Amino acid sequence: MSLVRKYGLSVLAILVSAVVFLIPFAFIIMMAFKDRTQAQLLDFSWPQGFHLWTNIVEVVTTRNWMLLTAFINSSILTVASVTLLVIFAAMVGFVLQRRKTRFNGLIEFFILAGLMIPPAVVPTIWLLQGIGLFGKLHGLILVEVAYGLPFSILLYRAFIATIPRELDEAAIIDGARPFDVFFRVILPLLWPVTVTNIVVQSVAIFNDFTNPLYYLPGNANATVQLTLYNFQSQFNTSYNLLFTNIALITIPPLVVFLFFNRQIVAGMTAGAVKG
Amino acid sequence: MAGLELKSLHKSYGNVEVIKGVDLTVEHGEFVVFVGPSGCGKSTLLRMIAGLEDITGGELWIGEVLCNGVEPRDRGIAMVFQNYALYPHMTVYDNVGFGLKLAKTPKDVRDAKIREAARILQMEHLLERKPSQLSGGQRQRVAIGRAIVRKPEVFLFDEPLSNLDAALRVETRMEIAKLHHDLGATMIYVTHDQVEAMTLADKIVVLNGGVVQQVGAPIELYQRPANLFVAGFIGSPKMNFVSVTVEAVSAGRVAVAGKDMASIAIPARTDGLKPGDTVTLGIRPHDLSEESGGAIVGRVALVERLGNETIISMQLPSEASWLVVLDGDHNLSIGQNLALSFEPDRAVIFDADGTARHPDLD
Ligand SMILES: Nc1ncnc2c1ncn2[C@@H]1O[C@H](COP(=O)(O)OP(=O)(O)OP(=O)(O)O)[C@@H](O)[C@H]1O
Ligand SMILES: [Mg+2]
Repeated sequence: MSLVRKYGLSVLAILVSAVVFLIPFAFIIMMAFKDRTQAQLLDFSWPQGFHLWTNIVEVVTTRNWMLLTAFINSSILTVASVTLLVIFAAMVGFVLQRRKTRFNGLIEFFILAGLMIPPAVVPTIWLLQGIGLFGKLHGLILVEVAYGLPFSILLYRAFIATIPRELDEAAIIDGARPFDVFFRVILPLLWPVTVTNIVVQSVAIFNDFTNPLYYLPGNANATVQLTLYNFQSQFNTSYNLLFTNIALITIPPLVVFLFFNRQIVAGMTAGAVKG
Repeated sequence: MAGLELKSLHKSYGNVEVIKGVDLTVEHGEFVVFVGPSGCGKSTLLRMIAGLEDITGGELWIGEVLCNGVEPRDRGIAMVFQNYALYPHMTVYDNVGFGLKLAKTPKDVRDAKIREAARILQMEHLLERKPSQLSGGQRQRVAIGRAIVRKPEVFLFDEPLSNLDAALRVETRMEIAKLHHDLGATMIYVTHDQVEAMTLADKIVVLNGGVVQQVGAPIELYQRPANLFVAGFIGSPKMNFVSVTVEAVSAGRVAVAGKDMASIAIPARTDGLKPGDTVTLGIRPHDLSEESGGAIVGRVALVERLGNETIISMQLPSEASWLVVLDGDHNLSIGQNLALSFEPDRAVIFDADGTARHPDLD
């Protein structure tokens, strides 16, 4: 009785999260092992036979190795966007927190607006076409940076407020120019938040489906999420291949997540208590 | 070789004036201490010298250079902050060497300088540690080391000892005094601790409300305070004050008396004083002694017996409350009357506007 009372809730919580997180994952993996006919049933059955390897080969080679191109594109997109995001968001957060001017209110309004107002696709395409960046990878990088910036800035700014200003001043007296202060003193101290930013944003950008769809048309430009279309159509979907594809493109975010896992929690709670 | 010259320095935040025209000359190698109550602008003045705050008006000369618009790094100064401000992600070695690295000092020179500073401050064994692995005193030493390696002309300290415990404070205070002696550099030191000010300073600058009240050697400030504020601020316990009326003026002496005090003649500057004027008499608690038939009689309100001395809080007839420090042990009971006297030349007469009327020195 007391055991139930003591651990009952915890066990329940663990079970619920297992159901919510693990079952879909198990479903994906099992589907990836099935052959086409069994997959068509879309049920939760044990795979008959081992078809993973043939599935993988087919998925990777489809449409002239499109998945490989997509992986390369997505990696470039993610790495470039996240790098720019981290640097710019930290810079904006730093300046906004440290230098009080009468424009601060306006800037904060823009940041919040960026967070709340849904992106307008058609005007953005029109603008991208105007400056010749439509359908280009670097155009999409800029779009991703713009969409991700407000959230990253908010994360950074709260944390920068906990870094004592004397640290900047000590660096200034030590002879640091503004860029030295930022890159050598502030940015290293922001590492916990930077990790959080890297994980959150890289997963979001890597898994982004709509923005590449709108702003980066064309097979040569495909990103990983768009490759899902290869096996999906209104009348004829190869579910085994679709789920193999899903399993393959889930691997990179998973690796990032496992790699930074410990530090994410540190970043979320950093600054809560002065160390 | 660099002294400092502050000419009518002003600082305003918006339309709030914080520093209201400070003139000050600091000789090369001098140890100058800024003291004053909280919020009087000590830190602001120091930060203006450092270049961390803009100068609203006036001129700041460091050595032969007008520094109003000069970047902090080019002023030849180093600063030690109250809460150390060490870079948490760097080792002690890198903390101390950060300025040199920014100045692109060659690696071997840098290494030699860092080790030299570590040797002076006896912290060679700490070089590989991060600041979080140090005690408060060790952190402050690293902060001082970071200042030393830059070989500044002027050291600036903003309450460097206030985060340390009492014993460590005494120790570090002595280290700073020794450092000043060894390096011979100009040092400017902000504190609100009297003992630090009195023991370290060649020259104390007393500030109040953004205005310099008096500049002088510690003992001079104690013995000849320029006004009521300085008299009340320097010395512990605080100087006692009582309002009295001038009865007679003779050559070099003023006879005063009041509700609390029988007539007594005090040496003072007499020009412009006439019988009937109201002035303030100040006398330090240590200069009072028990004597039946003394000029002052009050009621004992509180007694603290420390053995070597007795501190008495006393209520005068006019309800003014005084502190008296008597040598040795005195067994007094609360409520009893106590008669006190003092040497007339230990008392100071202050004008109605607070200016002291010290007798002229011969
Ligand atoms: N950024 C600012 N904006 C407006 N007023 C300020 C600002 N910084 C300081 N002040 C005011 O300037 C005055 C002097 O401040 P300062 O920090 O120099 O005091 P201080 O003498 O160092 O006091 P403490 O002994 O408490 O450190 C204070 O009244 C403070 O309120
Ligand atoms: Mg201060």
